[in-house]
Amino acid sequence: MLKVDYEACTGCKVCEKVCPFAAIVVVPETKKAKVLDTCTLCGTCVNACKFEALSIERRAISEEELAKFSGVFVWGEWEKKEDDNKIKKVVLELLGKGRELAEKLGETLSVILPGYNVEHLIPELFHHGADKVYLCEHELLEQYTTDGYATTISSVIATEKPSIVLYGATPNGRDLAPRIAARLALGLTADCTGLDINESRQLLQTRPAFGGNIMASILSPYTRPQMSSVRPNVFSKPNPDSSRTGDIVRVKVNLSRIVIRTKIIEEIVSKDDSINIEEAKILVSAGKGIGDKENLKLIEELAQELSGTVSGSRALVDLGWIPHPQQVGQSGKTVAPTLYLALGISGAIQHLVGMSGSDTIISINNDPEAAIFKVSDFGIVGNMFDIVPEFIKQLKEYKLKKQDK
Amino acid sequence: MISLSSNIIESEKIEPAPIDQIRSVKGEREISSSFPSYLVDESKISGGHANWLFFPKTESDFVTIFDKMRRDNHQITISAARTGIVGSAIPFGGAVVSLERMDRIFGLGFDEEVGKWFLRIQPSLSLDQINEIVKLKKLEDHHSIPPEKNWVEKFKENCTHYYPMDPTEMSASIGGTISANASGARSFKYGATRNWIKRIRVILGTGEVLDIPRGKYRAKDGEFVIKTAGKELIIQIPTYKMPTAKNAAGLYAKPDMDLIDLFIGSEGILGIITESDIWLKEYTSQMSCVAFFNNELDSLKFVDLLRNNKKADPEFIEFFDYNALNLLRNKQKEDPKFVDMPNISEEVTTAISFDLSYSEEDMEEKFNVLSEMLEKCNSSLEKTWCGYEERELERFKHFRHTVPEIVNNIIAERKKEFPEIHKLGTDMSVEDQHLADIMRFYHETLKEEGLEYVIWGHIAENHVHVNILPRNMRELELGKQLYKKCAKKAVEYGGSVSAEHGIGKLKHEYLEIMYGEEGVKQMRAIKCKLDPNCIINCDNIFSRSECV
Amino acid sequence: MKIVVLVKQVPEADKVAVDPETGTLIREGITSILNPYCEYALDEAVKLKNAHPEENIEIVTISMGPPQTKLALLRCLELGADKAYLLSDRKFAGSDVWATSTALKEGVVNLEPEFDLILAGKQAIDGDTAQVPAETAEQLGVPQITYGVKVQIVGKKVEVKREIETGYQIVSARMPALVTMSKGSNIRRIPSMKEVLNARKKPLEVLTADDIGIDENKVGLKASPTQVARIFAPPEKVGGEIIDGSDHIDSAKKLLEFLIANNYIKE
Repeated sequence: MLKVDYEACTGCKVCEKVCPFAAIVVVPETKKAKVLDTCTLCGTCVNACKFEALSIERRAISEEELAKFSGVFVWGEWEKKEDDNKIKKVVLELLGKGRELAEKLGETLSVILPGYNVEHLIPELFHHGADKVYLCEHELLEQYTTDGYATTISSVIATEKPSIVLYGATPNGRDLAPRIAARLALGLTADCTGLDINESRQLLQTRPAFGGNIMASILSPYTRPQMSSVRPNVFSKPNPDSSRTGDIVRVKVNLSRIVIRTKIIEEIVSKDDSINIEEAKILVSAGKGIGDKENLKLIEELAQELSGTVSGSRALVDLGWIPHPQQVGQSGKTVAPTLYLALGISGAIQHLVGMSGSDTIISINNDPEAAIFKVSDFGIVGNMFDIVPEFIKQLKEYKLKKQDK
Repeated sequence: MISLSSNIIESEKIEPAPIDQIRSVKGEREISSSFPSYLVDESKISGGHANWLFFPKTESDFVTIFDKMRRDNHQITISAARTGIVGSAIPFGGAVVSLERMDRIFGLGFDEEVGKWFLRIQPSLSLDQINEIVKLKKLEDHHSIPPEKNWVEKFKENCTHYYPMDPTEMSASIGGTISANASGARSFKYGATRNWIKRIRVILGTGEVLDIPRGKYRAKDGEFVIKTAGKELIIQIPTYKMPTAKNAAGLYAKPDMDLIDLFIGSEGILGIITESDIWLKEYTSQMSCVAFFNNELDSLKFVDLLRNNKKADPEFIEFFDYNALNLLRNKQKEDPKFVDMPNISEEVTTAISFDLSYSEEDMEEKFNVLSEMLEKCNSSLEKTWCGYEERELERFKHFRHTVPEIVNNIIAERKKEFPEIHKLGTDMSVEDQHLADIMRFYHETLKEEGLEYVIWGHIAENHVHVNILPRNMRELELGKQLYKKCAKKAVEYGGSVSAEHGIGKLKHEYLEIMYGEEGVKQMRAIKCKLDPNCIINCDNIFSRSECV
Repeated sequence: MKIVVLVKQVPEADKVAVDPETGTLIREGITSILNPYCEYALDEAVKLKNAHPEENIEIVTISMGPPQTKLALLRCLELGADKAYLLSDRKFAGSDVWATSTALKEGVVNLEPEFDLILAGKQAIDGDTAQVPAETAEQLGVPQITYGVKVQIVGKKVEVKREIETGYQIVSARMPALVTMSKGSNIRRIPSMKEVLNARKKPLEVLTADDIGIDENKVGLKASPTQVARIFAPPEKVGGEIIDGSDHIDSAKKLLEFLIANNYIKE
């Protein structure tokens, strides 16, 4: 409920001006603020009111209830790589952040690992900071399915009562986490770019909204566990300590075939490594400025010379010039390579959201006002069709010279 | 209350400003290297050059500039947004005077007699800027004219208003649109710019200013008398008859005309507009539609039904011929997002794009009326596109501009091989009853010579742009000849050689086709009276006059 | 056969921004539209309807939102939906993902319990959470397939081409099921005047929480486990060195120097 303190309210109309939903107005006759139906309790007006005339009432939860929940859990997502299964990089990144959160709370860090024949993946989890691994093995968990994984993980959460559960916001993660949240009636915050513990020992979850145009801080004050998903490449992978070990809890998984209601009939996986832009260390990224599909050849040549991978903005995917898996951005992938070269990319916020975490950003664009220059460590305002071929020529010469030495 | 008008007006003498107060740049080389944008406009004519570049802020600045140019025997070309396509803003020697520092809003008022709002502005504000200010009501209380009436407060409580002129290029300056009497698609319903001008202040080549509210000065016995300091100028109104069709060629002439109309549309040859009061209009929500026809004649029949239908009351009606649609279809295949519209089925040969006012209450009635009209023309309510959300209206607007854009791109490509090549776009109008005749004439004439062409335009006023796309220099020459043929035919059908683009520097010969030698002579006589030293915009409408 | 499409009306997200000085949302000139991903879902429903005339598919769109959401639902009717319901009530105010999915679940159960397929957009472009469809599916007890790019009906099953990181899968489930769409046509459809007119004749009902029989303690802020604590502007970026590229040879040289200096050139 958004409450107006009529004594404190001066009718200054600041709330009316800042409300993003036109949901609060100052009534001309009374010169006091009035809350309308469209209010979403986002709190913008509360922050803006200079007279502290606005407040939002929220329910609280008792301390003793909260104390029953303890532990930071991470979903150990793995994938098939060549002939074997491998823990996804995002899980290791979450272990890094999870360790931080666990230390602040004085709690332990665990991984839930559902799958089949995945026990050999456990040591890596301990090396990256896990104290405990809940191994949930079952034939029916050999491949990811919503039902199989939601059932298994919900069961572990219900029994073990963690205070926090983290998921990588991968396609499967985004499929899985809300299903579990609904099953257990929990709060879930998606695509967090920041996680921290506040003074009240709550998980402060920061995430972008409106395509990245605004940032929001979210709390789940009275449900446990607090759940968040995080995109790959947002947090950094910690350095492994191969001496670390931990406890393995073998969970008895009760699943029957009838529980799993979806079936994977076919998988059409691209053999080409270049599709996986999230793991690439160097990305050469093209935007609408390349003008013609033909010009992608230049981009590919440059990527090859730099031992990098080709990626692109949404514009190119929309035109069908590159496949969706290679798209960087809000509706594509989040990447954080060591080097990101942006060619002919203007730097719309939806694109920046997907790559601003890169170590070094270089851009070439002939528009000096392009937003991409604001996030670039090195930028050239010029014609890339002159500069890139010349650069490739100079680079080849340089490599030859070094070889000769 | 009927105010007695008179045909006698007294000018105001303005004191000159000190010359060093006026920002200026001197030197042909300096201007062409550091300020090249002031030497071109959208006509893309090359060869523009100037020895002086001035940036006046007040009428006094103008007086000083005129005095100096008169003494040095130089001419002046006025430059504002440079969006014109007949070369009016391009200087060929002398001084180019940019109006960019004259972009103030003086105020807002309400004329209680006629019940209309008006805005008082300087000439270099663009139509986009004016609409942003008016639609979003970005005005302060002190803008009220007069202040004690608190008009701004009342305006803010009123519904949304706007300035309805839409000459397609909304970055055009208001002063430019007044000088050119700009129209566009919407002049069908709202008339051309002159219908929306309440008052102008205009500075003559002699440095004197005329303040002309509409309705105050009317011609008597075919004459105006202008009392300047020292001289009494008798202006004789030309005796030619203007076409009833849409027209932007030459000076306005009617026996009992208002003095304000002499200057509106005069392309800056009689005086420079330094201030104007423009009428505003209530904004009504719009709905954009496109109807498709398998036969061009059906579409022309529909146009005639639609424009005369009071229930439908369209905002504007635009036409796209078979070649235009094929350009779109080809572009969609290579880059669908460029056009950003669904595919147009293969049997369709013509598209008619029109806007209606949007209201849920009378939608059914309007649509039933439209359905009847479409059925009569071998089409139907199903063979249409329709949208009314802001972003849909944007999409339809973008669609209407895609054909000209594609044509410009094609010409740009051909220029690589033939640098002298350019597109030839007609700008002619005819009277209502001759619409089908002139369309048939265009198609026959061009097909006969085997030229590549596209036709689109403001068909509600029988004003389409026939664009010839020459593939080589021979076709360019051929096209120019055909252009003349079309111009003559249009005049035969009671129309104009320039319905909206004006004459500028490009179309002098067409003016004679329309008004004859005598008509042009009469226009020159007025020019000589008001600008005896031929200082301002000397090459617009007709070549430099030698005044005795 | 019945296909329910869950839709949301959203502000045009491109234009929303926070004033970095005051920390408040700038609200000028923002219009509301049908969420693009919801439009993809509706388009897919219409494609299915056209592909299976023998099934007599009825498309019902349901949304939860303030009264102005009617316009988005009207648009759905213009684009091919047969019926629309708007769940609108003060009691829904402040709903997060869980509370929203509760309301939608109650709506579906009470209004169209015999549905065969639910289609929804992958995410809404304002909240960007991509959670409501999955939580609604869970509450309804039906299987879900997310990241769909193409849907086919094969007998009593639905077969969905689903995007994964490295390519695609074809996943099937027995109906009733829920599918979220992550991609659709580049070029948005435009209804004809006839479709616009007919839309106004199709049923569009606005219902309150009481009309559906929803317990007010299960919806709205009260029932929302997540809360917005604060909204702020994203951090201002400061760029590094920007050079003029008009001399392409020189700028290529500087680029090479930069990359060598930072160890990005492998032999």
